[in-house]
Amino acid sequence: MDNEARLMRAMAAASPPSVDPGFMIAVMEAAERQRFRAETAHRLLRVAGMAAAAAALAAPFWGWAAANAEALQNGILMAGGLLALVAFTRVMTQRATAALHG
Amino acid sequence: MSPDEEARLIAAARSGDSRAFAALVGAHRQAVRGFLRRFTGHWADADDIAQEAFVTAWRKLSRFEGRSTFRSWVSGIGFRIARDARRAHGRSTVRDTAWADHQDGGEATAPLEDRIALEAAMADLPDEQRAAVAMCLGEGFSHSEAAGILNLPLGTVKSHVARGRERLLRALETTDG
Repeated sequence: MDNEARLMRAMAAASPPSVDPGFMIAVMEAAERQRFRAETAHRLLRVAGMAAAAAALAAPFWGWAAANAEALQNGILMAGGLLALVAFTRVMTQRATAALHG
Repeated sequence: MSPDEEARLIAAARSGDSRAFAALVGAHRQAVRGFLRRFTGHWADADDIAQEAFVTAWRKLSRFEGRSTFRSWVSGIGFRIARDARRAHGRSTVRDTAWADHQDGGEATAPLEDRIALEAAMADLPDEQRAAVAMCLGEGFSHSEAAGILNLPLGTVKSHVARGRERLLRALETTDG
């Protein structure tokens, strides 16, 4: 056998097996682990960002709320009453419509 | 795999389809592993590096611009990981563990003494020359493909392959097969 052929045969000896499910499984498991880690980190960052934004918005509100507790209470009661009135009106409108067309 | 099929799988993998990525790995794992086995001289390490290269490719798939083939891109990632690992750990471990690889055989058809002589001669080649030889002679990459992966001029790669081949042939001559 000439040296060229010996070289090619010796080179070919390092070829990996054509069928090797173990390698595929290892790669895909590692890839999925990587994706899970990235997604978890992304989700955590988003939650932390939202929490920080909410805290930043709430901080000045708490100061104002403490100074205007009575006005705030009246405002909440008024808003609740307004919502109740809207809900009551909607229900009555639906019933009246049903009675007229029924 | 046709370029169209590869482009379709890359697009699907980019959108998170792991089965498409598995198909890409399946199509190119032999070339990437074969190249890294010849480049590092240590099969188990090479397979670990190939695994790391594919996982890195999965993570950075959105940055793949399609200027080369997927095989070239992953081989380039593997080459850089292997080169950095070699620089960190030194070259001595290659020869120390080479025997273990020959013991577990693989798909060995060449005489053991030829494989050992080749591995020793490969280990003596400079990194870029060894990489060019491993790609072009070992896995049938084109010279221009290897030039892109190694970020070298085409003429330099051709010269590396020719000189590397001569040195490997001389090493085999001295083993008197």
